[in-house]
Amino acid sequence: MGQLIVRRLIFMIFMLIGLMAIVFAISNIAPGDPARLAAGPDATNEMVERLRVERGLDKPIVTRFAVYLSNLAAGDLGTSLHTRRAVVDDLARYFPATLELVLFSIAFAVLLGVPLGMAGAAFQNKIPDHSIRFLAVSGVALPMFWLGLMLQWYLSLELDLFPLGGRLGIMTPRPETVTGMLTVDSLLSGNFGTFQEAVWHLVLPSLALSLPALASIIRVNRAEMLETLNKDYILNARAQGIGPLRIVTAYALKNAILPTLAMIGLRFGWMLGGTVLVEGVFDYPGVGLYATKAAVSSDFDPIIAVTLVLGASFMLVNLLIDLTYALLDPRVRSQI
Amino acid sequence: MKITRRIATTVIASAALLAGGFMMLPTQDATAAEQVDGKLYMVIAGRQPVSHLDPALKYDLAVRMMQQQLYDALVKYEGNPSEIKPWLAESWSTSDDGLTWTFNLAKNAKFHDGSPVTAEAVVYSFKRTMEINEGPAWMLEGFVEADGIKAVDAHTVSFTLNKPYAAFLSFLPWWYVVNPAVVEANIKDGDFGQGFLQENAAGSGPYKLQRFEQGTAYVLERNDDYWKGFPYENDRMGGVIYRLVRESAAQRAALLKGEADLVTGLSPEERQAVNSNKDISTTSLPALTSFGLKMNTTQGVTADLNIRKALAYAYDYESFIKIMNGEAKLQTSPFTDAVQGMVPIADMPRRDIAKAKEYLAKSAHPDGGFEVEYVYVEGFEIERQMGLAMIDAYKDINVTVKMVPLTWPNMVARGAKPETSPDLMAIFATPVSTDPDAIAIQYHPSSAGKYYGSHFLNDPDLNALIEKARAETVWDKRAPIYAEIQQKIVDLQPEIFGMMRNRGVALRNWVKGYQDSPIRMGGEIDFYSVHLDPN
Repeated sequence: MGQLIVRRLIFMIFMLIGLMAIVFAISNIAPGDPARLAAGPDATNEMVERLRVERGLDKPIVTRFAVYLSNLAAGDLGTSLHTRRAVVDDLARYFPATLELVLFSIAFAVLLGVPLGMAGAAFQNKIPDHSIRFLAVSGVALPMFWLGLMLQWYLSLELDLFPLGGRLGIMTPRPETVTGMLTVDSLLSGNFGTFQEAVWHLVLPSLALSLPALASIIRVNRAEMLETLNKDYILNARAQGIGPLRIVTAYALKNAILPTLAMIGLRFGWMLGGTVLVEGVFDYPGVGLYATKAAVSSDFDPIIAVTLVLGASFMLVNLLIDLTYALLDPRVRSQI
Repeated sequence: MKITRRIATTVIASAALLAGGFMMLPTQDATAAEQVDGKLYMVIAGRQPVSHLDPALKYDLAVRMMQQQLYDALVKYEGNPSEIKPWLAESWSTSDDGLTWTFNLAKNAKFHDGSPVTAEAVVYSFKRTMEINEGPAWMLEGFVEADGIKAVDAHTVSFTLNKPYAAFLSFLPWWYVVNPAVVEANIKDGDFGQGFLQENAAGSGPYKLQRFEQGTAYVLERNDDYWKGFPYENDRMGGVIYRLVRESAAQRAALLKGEADLVTGLSPEERQAVNSNKDISTTSLPALTSFGLKMNTTQGVTADLNIRKALAYAYDYESFIKIMNGEAKLQTSPFTDAVQGMVPIADMPRRDIAKAKEYLAKSAHPDGGFEVEYVYVEGFEIERQMGLAMIDAYKDINVTVKMVPLTWPNMVARGAKPETSPDLMAIFATPVSTDPDAIAIQYHPSSAGKYYGSHFLNDPDLNALIEKARAETVWDKRAPIYAEIQQKIVDLQPEIFGMMRNRGVALRNWVKGYQDSPIRMGGEIDFYSVHLDPN
């Protein structure tokens, strides 16, 4: 097991270097003049050139990649051309926000998806099942962006149940930063009111972000539940007089957990991508918005750093899921 | 499977309870403005983040908007038409040769920390910007050296220019004065305090920085002790929050819901839509901004003046107005209406197919039959519609149009070199000064490579006129030269001169004192006179 983790982590480093190389190449090959953009619209050509040399943008791409990697090894993720801030500081600010949003969305997807999937199986081909399947299909088909706008319009503007966007009310005092996740930090500082407010702000964006994942989890659970409930050992268990609650939780649900986990691993990556859209609609200051801003202004250092962090977190989550798999399923464990 | 139904029902019920639990959480307080200790904070919802606050670095609408509140400059642009008003400088004089400018500072001006704004501070701030050599540094480059700026006494500053420069004063509103003591105390590794000034302010302006939360909101607190006072009496005005709301649908929702008091960046249609609400009104003002389709005068088909003239005469100018829903006016000169010395040009091209064909006949393509590339900002609907209008219009002279949407960075990159600059490129340009030189210089080779210089025009006669006009300091002598320059630019047709579009904001009716000024970019608000009056 320990060996497996080490092997996977080493493999991960190479994957990340490869990933960075690809993104570095793409963002450099794309036309654009980052120095001119950063110098401002009226900057003289000398000012542009000076900035280009200062930031090493005049060097060949391979040299720049090598310099970037050596800086990275020293823990330096570079600085943004536009805000002149260290990228590390920016990520420390934005990544926890996105992570919080994604974790909330996953929680939504699992907490709603598993019971709905079970319900679908229980009422197979009846009205509840049809409605749940309708929800599942829409979840995959509806664009997140549009869904976000609709949620905003109906639940926020019309019914005034939720705020339009942001992470907290503007004038709400921020809890002391420990993890950067407002829900956690507010609880750590014992401020329950701020916690409620942070959760309140998370509901609509995570709902929009979670729908595709919710849909897949419903489908997986429904299918798995249907299959398991028809197994002989369930019939046996019923014959032995074991109560329905125990049958579902101890036998059927356990079997549905593994595919659900696999789905979470897969959807985690999709959600990180989806944050670009959802964060835009809800003005949720996270990595997605940061990356978009960097991409449209050809700001290399942040682009590469975001790729690195998102790539690494996707790989880590999948490693964790594989390990959980091994913990839950003895068959998988024996193969390691 | 009956046995699982009971369980499923239980689970659904608990899910419903969970959802119900969420509903128990407090609902939003629906008061309009944010309030702190009874003071009102006006909320402006805009789209552009404030990338930094340093007056010596790159400016854009959001950066400039913040700096205008936190800092003061010697003079300030205000009103419609935009006028240069005395600010830190109460008065100024120019020597007869136009080389020495002397500014007398207001003696009561003080920084946010209470220390006086002295001549030394002014000199320090100018030198700092020149030393860093970014942002506004280009405005005075070649005209004033750091050594030429001197503190004559505690309240007098003199600038000695290398050569007369008529537009000198018109650039000074963008040179903000920093508090040297605060900056010096925060210098790290000889960075001129750049690290500190990114997200902190050291100014004397009407507002103080309360919170800078990148990507979310920027909170400014009213400086109740502002040395110049405020043009209104309202003690409840506590501050202004510039909040980022990036989608226009969300912006409108925020305004309707009262989460925002003033919204910038809405299109004319969107402004009309919110205007139907009785609590909301909108503004509309032609800006200093010009819009034109820049043509590459050095390469490709458009290198031929006859082709440029043909394209200009074949264009359907009415389409500009239609596309803008009537919220625009055609340019009658390369200079927009708000520019000093603008004169309408009698033979400004308008759609005239006969004339277009006449010019075409004189070119290497007498019957047309070629393609022009039209580059515009990807996703910018009005520019796309202009392309469609162009396709239609150019059918009449047998010219086809290839529409190429690009992201702004890619457009800037393509326009930076004559070899890559496209035949036609859609460009909005807002000059930073109302002085005619700010527009004229866009047609001088020194603008080559900048986004508005993608025509690469280089006409010796025109260049000489532009240089002569900027060196002349007496307006009565400058005005006729600019009339000549405008005619000359139209004759050379480096672009299809377009329109002046109206821009505006949507605001709740309790926002008082809002003033737009053509010099400001669309979405750039001056908070100085704005206040909230709930009664």
